[in-house]
Amino acid sequence: MKIRHLLFVVIVFALALSACAPKASAPEACETDAFGCAVIPEGDTIKIGMGAPMLGDYGMFGIDISQGVEVALTQDDGFEGWSYELIAEDTGGAPEAGAAVANKMVTDPTVVAIAGHIFSGSTAAAMPIYEKAGFPMMSPSATLPELTEKGSAVFNRLAFTDATQAKFAAQLLFESLGVTKLGVMHDGTSYGQGLADGVAGFFTELGGEVVASEAITPGEVDYIAPLSSIAAKGPEAIYYGGYAAEAIVMANQWEQAGLAGVTLFGCDGTYGVEFTDKAGPNAEGSIAVSLVPPASPEKDAFDEAYRTAYGMEAGELSAFSWSAYDTGAVLIAAIEKVAIVGDDGSLYVPRGAVVDAVRNTDYEGLTGLVKCDDTGECNASGPTFYIVENGEWVPYIP
Amino acid sequence: MSEQKTTREQSSLNVSKLIRWIAGILLLALVGWRVYQTAFIEGGYGPDTWMRFIIAGLVIGGMYSLIAIGYTLVYGILFMINFAHGEVMMLGAFGGYFMFELFAFIKAPTASDPNMNFLNAYPLVSVLLAFIVGAVISATAGFLLERIAYRPLRKAPRLVPLISAIGASIFLQNAAQLLFGPQRRQYINPDVLWRGTGWSIPVGDTTVLLTYTGTLSLVLSALLMIGLFYIVQKTKLGRSMRAVAENKQAAALMGIDVDAVIGKTFIISGILAGSAGVMWGIHNGLFNHYVGFLPGIKAFTAAVLGGIGNIPGAMMGGMLLGILESVGPAALGLDFQLKDVIAFSILILVLIFRPSGLLGEALSEEKV
Repeated sequence: MKIRHLLFVVIVFALALSACAPKASAPEACETDAFGCAVIPEGDTIKIGMGAPMLGDYGMFGIDISQGVEVALTQDDGFEGWSYELIAEDTGGAPEAGAAVANKMVTDPTVVAIAGHIFSGSTAAAMPIYEKAGFPMMSPSATLPELTEKGSAVFNRLAFTDATQAKFAAQLLFESLGVTKLGVMHDGTSYGQGLADGVAGFFTELGGEVVASEAITPGEVDYIAPLSSIAAKGPEAIYYGGYAAEAIVMANQWEQAGLAGVTLFGCDGTYGVEFTDKAGPNAEGSIAVSLVPPASPEKDAFDEAYRTAYGMEAGELSAFSWSAYDTGAVLIAAIEKVAIVGDDGSLYVPRGAVVDAVRNTDYEGLTGLVKCDDTGECNASGPTFYIVENGEWVPYIP
Repeated sequence: MSEQKTTREQSSLNVSKLIRWIAGILLLALVGWRVYQTAFIEGGYGPDTWMRFIIAGLVIGGMYSLIAIGYTLVYGILFMINFAHGEVMMLGAFGGYFMFELFAFIKAPTASDPNMNFLNAYPLVSVLLAFIVGAVISATAGFLLERIAYRPLRKAPRLVPLISAIGASIFLQNAAQLLFGPQRRQYINPDVLWRGTGWSIPVGDTTVLLTYTGTLSLVLSALLMIGLFYIVQKTKLGRSMRAVAENKQAAALMGIDVDAVIGKTFIISGILAGSAGVMWGIHNGLFNHYVGFLPGIKAFTAAVLGGIGNIPGAMMGGMLLGILESVGPAALGLDFQLKDVIAFSILILVLIFRPSGLLGEALSEEKV
């Protein structure tokens, strides 16, 4: 019996010693950092995590954004011999899965930062988990206003909020387009409804009249009935809060519903090559909002790299390709600012320092200036409006 | 003693029946009053708008009917719900799509236009071939589905093939996603059949557009349903199908190859679903591997509404559901987001008052 006790004590000691051993050679920054360090052994890769819908109805968002980030990661030469790797886990866009992915990410010592999450619901669920573990987040696409209102230190986003977008859209409708009677539609999601309600509110404040409001079921392919119902109220333009899938269907059924000559005004979910491709001539004159940057040599270089790597155009699957690239680049820059090569040949990244570095980003990206305010809003350039002319999205100049 | 018990049961049955009917009449009066209000007092919609609602409802209703017949045929014979039927329709939609893509790729130069493709040079042939290929693919899928997923479970308890059907449905969806990718695709129609073109019918001081694609869908679904009715009522195959539906053992004793008849039933329902899939593509354009799910559920609802196992019931149920969906929210002055709520509420009401559906007959104990 005594021998067994002794053995137990010896084993516990051995375990404790072995646990202490690597700490001895860890850089000082890791000792002082509130969250400790991410440790990447020699020969391993610096990992950037992502929770995104990779499969199912919204799979194209996750696939596109992960590809955009991946271009940034592979283009980088790496840091002192360590290269970057993206770990994109499927959330299906669901909050529960977002939390599950976050729990998985925080147990991996080689994951340094999170590009995402992609959908707002999944991001909100994941945020407290990353907050506790000190993982910096940079979302190219989560637009729910509340996300930055919680005082999170780790969450940042490149996407502009829905409220900002709604305000700009209402202004454009009332002041530049001279619309006085507006119809409002949304797809019943918190994103779409938030935008539509926002626009309706701002539009009435400006002095316009909202003549009709209608909600549709997303995922269907026949919206003639709801469109006809709105058409009967005689709006001059219709604001739609929702994604391209439904907007395409609506644009194609615009005339059948008796809406010829009425402007379809969409949001950033509506924008994309898919809309112009699939609505063809019916898309003409539609307006939407986008993160797609105006043409520049850097953008062309990215487009080329994206095409070679994946055999499709950037922006073909979603409009977030460029923001995704910027997200990747911003995270790399922040990591390289604080990473330290330890004496034992491993790479140490103090987590708290990386969180601060991401928040203090001041970076000129493809989508414009990336500079975060105290709450983590990093898109300093604001939304750009686009209009369809001859089958192409061109920047709308009032 | 036993006599007394029966009468008591009888009377309590009558009371609950009476309450049900009174509640039903009150509800009907309420709905009628609301419809009267929105239609005549508030007067939000002109006749042109009502006509658009009805046209949209008829077109989608035709497709629902075609798919609903598949549910009803299989239920009539096997007493199981083939939940993978929506996916059979999805495969048909892919078949038609790839035929259109192929025809758009083949060059058929004419004197006036050297860059003409086959699709625009021979639109009728292209559309016909797309329908045939879509129907053949779906028929094959339906046949294989029965062979692989249902036949081995024929003797198992009734829940088992149901689970197998749900599994097959998920399998087919994901297989299609892996094979064809997750992106939405769009049918590129021949120019003459472009979506959004059609006849303008003057109504009041405006016009209502009756699209070519919608007309094609409606006419074709009507033709297919007539064809089906002919097969079931007038041919030898139809007679054996009805016999198997009535009593499998007796039919087998009479020399009917039950397995072959069941296989053929799946082929017929596959043909109808495949045609509905191609119609869906031509009329609505957008689709992906999930396209079958929602119409599948709706068509199942339509089949139940009309009385599952009853073919004219499925046709009527589909049309009714399509029209209810597009007219219902407007008539009640509600958001169109609630159209499914309205459609399913009506389903529940119909089932409360006629548990076997609108045209369904009560099944005998023996058959169940």
